[in-house]
Amino acid sequence: MRAVLAIIKGMIKDLVRRKDFYVLLVFLLVLMAVMASQNFFQIKGVTRYMRDLGYSIVMLLSFIIAVTFTAKQIPAEIEARTIYPLLAKPLTRYSFIAGKYLGGVVVSLMSFTVFYLVYGLFFVTGGEAWSAPLLAQGFFFGVLFLFMVCAMVIFLSNFMTFSANVTISFLIYIIVSGFSDTLRDSILRAKGVLSVIEGVIFYIMPHFDFFDMRVRLAHSWDPLPAWVVAAVAVYTLVYCLFLLYFSQAVFSRRKL
Amino acid sequence: MTTVAPKPDNMKISGGGGYRTRLTDPLHRPFYKKMAPILSIKDLHYTYGSGKESVNALRGIDLEIDKGEIFGFLGPNGAGKTTTIKIILGILAPRRGRVELGGKSPLEAASRKRVGYMPETADYYRFLTPAELLYMYGDICGVERSVLRERIPELFRLVDLEGLSGRLMRTFSKGMMQKVSFAQALVNDPEFLVLDEPTSGLDPVSRTHMRDTLNHLRERGKTVFFSSHELSEVETISDRIGILNRGEIAACGPVHELLGEKSEGQSLENYFLKMIGKH
Repeated sequence: MRAVLAIIKGMIKDLVRRKDFYVLLVFLLVLMAVMASQNFFQIKGVTRYMRDLGYSIVMLLSFIIAVTFTAKQIPAEIEARTIYPLLAKPLTRYSFIAGKYLGGVVVSLMSFTVFYLVYGLFFVTGGEAWSAPLLAQGFFFGVLFLFMVCAMVIFLSNFMTFSANVTISFLIYIIVSGFSDTLRDSILRAKGVLSVIEGVIFYIMPHFDFFDMRVRLAHSWDPLPAWVVAAVAVYTLVYCLFLLYFSQAVFSRRKL
Repeated sequence: MTTVAPKPDNMKISGGGGYRTRLTDPLHRPFYKKMAPILSIKDLHYTYGSGKESVNALRGIDLEIDKGEIFGFLGPNGAGKTTTIKIILGILAPRRGRVELGGKSPLEAASRKRVGYMPETADYYRFLTPAELLYMYGDICGVERSVLRERIPELFRLVDLEGLSGRLMRTFSKGMMQKVSFAQALVNDPEFLVLDEPTSGLDPVSRTHMRDTLNHLRERGKTVFFSSHELSEVETISDRIGILNRGEIAACGPVHELLGEKSEGQSLENYFLKMIGKH
């Protein structure tokens, strides 16, 4: 466990000392300030639109940090040849993968927390009704989302270079976020082999759409029932465990 | 700190066979060393790839390294030195044969607890300071924090990086990175130290300092296994050398014995070239 923590600490120092996070934070602050200024006349539709857009931006920026930070971990260790002194220490490959995954999660969550605080401030001062449980649910779903993104990226980094991993991860994010409903409808309409193929793709792909709280936050609907939250949490846990199991299985057989 | 009994003056080491250390007592009765070697390699094979494109990197290596000795591992490029080192460190699994490090398989993480490794080149995390790097590696090795607080400044003194331990490594030159690399290899006070081209990128003063440090480590009972292309350096500090050629051990033993066996006064360079078939 101490070895895993040591790897996580190293990744946190990397986040704090690089400019990426600060650039994204300034970008978010500017955007939020611009959006807040648009709501000067407290027009209801505009506030909802801003809440929707704000949440999307926070999730996207957190996704960028999670993907770019996690995707570079294993390829960068191999390229810089630092993986050799690391694995020559009493560190199992499983611990190495666990450290890199949890490091990615912690770094992403740190960034997400800061981004979400900015969003939360914008949300509660927007002039419309707001509910703390709903805001908390939005945060919790963001946390689950990042657990899943990091697991997917660590899994892909066993097979891909940094840039290929980032590209594929973004494509999956866009496809799942934008076309998940279309694919589901298509499965219902399809018949025979095509239906099976589409079904397999639909159930295998990471359902980032499960974590999408935009509409609920924008319209200040009631928070989701506890069983839905629990179901999404279990789905995330199982999906992450599968991805991590296969990641360490592939990595432990990898010739370095 | 562990100590080992001093080697008898009349020690003889066989050059062939299993490369076992053969000792003779004052009455010249042969006997074999009772102490188990720290590293034992038997019939080690390794192949890269499969089918027609496979490359036999190692073809049946036998080697034993005793505790407290400095072993120089030589060979031309592509001879299989790095593959051997990776197998010794548990980074690669042997295809055939057996490797034991302190009586355990190097694939077990516990066997590497008191092993230090300095790679030929490594571009250490540029967003960390050398001190942070050493703490990180120390934590991974399970070294107590109180021990690290004392040991790490000592290591920086040893590698002549005192005063730079708090600077980010993005500003470091290759030579400075090599020094950091050497320090990280020593952070867990290893019993067995594997050094891959340890003096590459170092200036002459630092090279001399490195040689002195290795001798000092030997005096403290540490075992050093190092690969190098600097034959004069190998000759100066090694108790024994092994020459690897095309995945096989071409020669192994103390330098003076190997050179003496062939012809009087020949240089290690000539001997090396002869052993790899280039002379």
